[in-house]
Amino acid sequence: MRAIIIGGGDVGYALARALAPRHDVFVIDHDPAVGELFASLDVELVTGSATSASALRRAHVEDADLLVACTGLDEVNIVACSIANGLGHPETICFVSKDDFLRPSGDRDSLREHFGIDRVIWPEAQLADDIERIIAAPGAIDAEAFAGGAVRLLEYRLEAGSPLTAGRIAELGLPPGALIVAVKAGDRFTIPRGGTRLAPGDKIILMGTREAMQQVEGRMVGGAEPPARRLVTIVGGGDVGFRLAQRLDRQPGLELRVIERNPERGALIASRLSRALVLNGDGTDLELLESEQIGRSDALVSVIDNDERNLLASLIGRQLGVRTIITRVSRPANLRLFERVGIDVAISARSAAVAAVVHQVDGGTANLLAVLEEGQARILEIAVPADFAPTTLRHLQSPPQSIVGAILRGDTAHVPRGDDLIQPGDRLIVFAATASADQVRDYFAVAGR
Amino acid sequence: MRLAIVVHLTGALVRLFSVALLAPLAVALLYGERHDAWGFLLAAGVAFVAGHLMRRVAEEPHDVRRVEAMAVVAGTWLLVALAGAVPYVWAGVSLVDALFESMSGLTTTGATTFADFGALGRGIFFWRSLTQWLGGLGVIALFVAVLPRLAIGGRQLFFAEAPGPTDEKLTPQIRKTAAALWLLYTGLTATEAVSLRAVGLPWFDAVCHAFTTLAAGGFSPHPLSIMGYENQPAEWIIIVFMFLAGANFALQVRAVRGRPLTLLRDEEFRTYALITAVFAGFGALFLWREGAVLADAVRLSLFQVVSILTTTGYANADFQRWSDQAKMVLLALMFIGGCAGSAAGGPKVVRYLLIARYTLRELKRILHPRAVLPVKLGGRAVPEEVMRGVLVFFLFYLLVFAVCTTVVVSFDADIVTGITASIATLGNIGPGFNRVGPMAHYAHLHAASKVTLTAAMWIGRLEVLTVLAILRPEVWLTSRWRTGTGGPLAAG
Repeated sequence: MRAIIIGGGDVGYALARALAPRHDVFVIDHDPAVGELFASLDVELVTGSATSASALRRAHVEDADLLVACTGLDEVNIVACSIANGLGHPETICFVSKDDFLRPSGDRDSLREHFGIDRVIWPEAQLADDIERIIAAPGAIDAEAFAGGAVRLLEYRLEAGSPLTAGRIAELGLPPGALIVAVKAGDRFTIPRGGTRLAPGDKIILMGTREAMQQVEGRMVGGAEPPARRLVTIVGGGDVGFRLAQRLDRQPGLELRVIERNPERGALIASRLSRALVLNGDGTDLELLESEQIGRSDALVSVIDNDERNLLASLIGRQLGVRTIITRVSRPANLRLFERVGIDVAISARSAAVAAVVHQVDGGTANLLAVLEEGQARILEIAVPADFAPTTLRHLQSPPQSIVGAILRGDTAHVPRGDDLIQPGDRLIVFAATASADQVRDYFAVAGR
Repeated sequence: MRLAIVVHLTGALVRLFSVALLAPLAVALLYGERHDAWGFLLAAGVAFVAGHLMRRVAEEPHDVRRVEAMAVVAGTWLLVALAGAVPYVWAGVSLVDALFESMSGLTTTGATTFADFGALGRGIFFWRSLTQWLGGLGVIALFVAVLPRLAIGGRQLFFAEAPGPTDEKLTPQIRKTAAALWLLYTGLTATEAVSLRAVGLPWFDAVCHAFTTLAAGGFSPHPLSIMGYENQPAEWIIIVFMFLAGANFALQVRAVRGRPLTLLRDEEFRTYALITAVFAGFGALFLWREGAVLADAVRLSLFQVVSILTTTGYANADFQRWSDQAKMVLLALMFIGGCAGSAAGGPKVVRYLLIARYTLRELKRILHPRAVLPVKLGGRAVPEEVMRGVLVFFLFYLLVFAVCTTVVVSFDADIVTGITASIATLGNIGPGFNRVGPMAHYAHLHAASKVTLTAAMWIGRLEVLTVLAILRPEVWLTSRWRTGTGGPLAAG
């Protein structure tokens, strides 16, 4: 496949690195200095403006199969996709960061067509959505929803004294319809069996139906009712912070504070939110955080576009006693480090977006629903082929490090047991370590033949 | 400020006003009042000639600055009031009283100096009502709507005349906005006139009351105001139209154009309706405790509350004889006024909303010193300079009120008369309490008081700042006839 990547920033680099081994990749950037960065990769660098036809021709746009526009400027990305469509017929993926583009009053699709864009990726919005889901599940460090919310995934870190560390998994009495799909001790993943024992400090990933997961949530907060009024503090009112604030502002029972350093930005945010309290100041200003009693927060979300300051704000929050700390990480390399120093959820907008593009290129028929654990694990949706011989789950010789978390049949979702039959037409939601994701896909493709 | 421009535009507007004087001329002739008819003809002639001459002294301007627009508006209102006083003087009213009456009409105040209604003809009463109708939506707004040549400066003039904190426009072109507003206004007036006729008022009275209801004016050709008709259906009709006159006309245009919920979504309108309900409730409670039948208490209270809140000033009862509790309800309302963009006077509900939010915000700031707390209206942040304008408006409003009260009390009135006369004229309401009560008049006040109150009506109608700004000496010290002629640069 021939792919053109426009923009040699973080996203462009990560994409090029992932795609270069198997595909012909051209990278277009106006700055020749990025050449140094890309020198170690087997890609062809074209220096020139992404919105000039000549640069696109030099990158052989007429033969390209895929074009990903991921510069920092929405306008450039949109125009580049549009021009590329006039010169050739690549599939176009456009990165945007602003709300105004491509979705004026629900007319999103028509405008997308108008510009010849096949797929819009909006990492900041994705990140805001992810964070919103995590906040909605108290105590959870990751939360996802699939199949229109019929199937949910929650991740928890087990604390000392947690009821789940009391015995073998089979004896814990998890609600029917909920399943522990993975346990992570240290950096190692395992797919647990009934006999596995959980230990404090482990991270567990549960999947299940909506109802079952509600019970799980109740269990995880120690049986206590979640507090009637929860306080959430957002540090940084940038694209992500503002978007998240707008979502949370409308939720009942949630008190919201937004800390923004720039007075003008703060005024804009305050004018658009109806209930939230917007504070003008630095998220790392201890005096401000103390006088506003930020330590009382149930969750602190630090989404400044700067890893160092995010980390500092988060650590201060931890020190003041905030229960859950969610931090945005820009440099994927920092993800693990952040979690190691005590941040509950470190989350990166770009790495998820990159994974989504890479999966689109290499993933074939399987649908990537989510990327978990700094890219170590994936959630796939697999349609069982029509010529698949019905097999019980127990006899399914699926690849290692993978587990079927849910079966979608018609309109219903259920969590399977060993004697459940997998039939053609089912859709499976599969948890798989990234290393085995391809095998899982191939297994069902081959088994079908 | 370029005086040539001010004189030219003011002249053009005054000349146009002469046309309005032909209507009462026709009415006077219809009723055979020949003496009064000459008065109207004289007034029309004076306005036309004076306006024409003023127009001739300078050519049409290419642009109008803000201060010039304010001067034109303030000047036009003053000169038009003078022209409007001519028929009264001709009919035998003293000069001070005639000017008071004319200004009271144009500013839709409704305070009268006519002690003896029987001595005056129908034409005079028609003219009195018509001045209110013309002033209700704004003389300038009318001229902007009908004068296509006022394209230059029309916008500035329009906003200088109604300088509310919100400048809502229906169309980008100010002329079309003004025309739409006048169309609605005329339509409502016609509807009310027909309704009043249907419940038994004679045509003359129905039309005069329709004029003064929609204008939130309050002049009545009957010496006992609405009470004199003893017609309850008419009172309910008038309640409805007074309420509409006190609501934002631009929103009503939208509502009529197919978005009926526009009004209910407007915070100011909701507050306005709430104030009406709460005050009417208290008023009814007090009247009921004094022994009135409940149905009467509700009707009287609602009528009087709407009448005072919208600054109309009709009376369907002699509220001078109410208890102090019930009167207090009305006195409090005198300081509020209707909605911005309506025919009502007073500080307006929206300013109170903003002040309330501003105050609450300052309280919240004590708790959260670093918080960003915009004052919001309708979900949108109100710019700080608008907020500042509102605060300054209140300061000046109270200052003018204090000065007026002092003058009126100093000359000859008791304190209640002084206070209520001042707020009733500054807020363009009309009747006050005691010697200026609903069944009384202003004729017996000292001439100095009457001149002061005339000025208060003028200042109040133009929302204080327009008049006070052009009274600053530096505006006049830096004024030239035209720019570029005889200036220091030209000389050098």
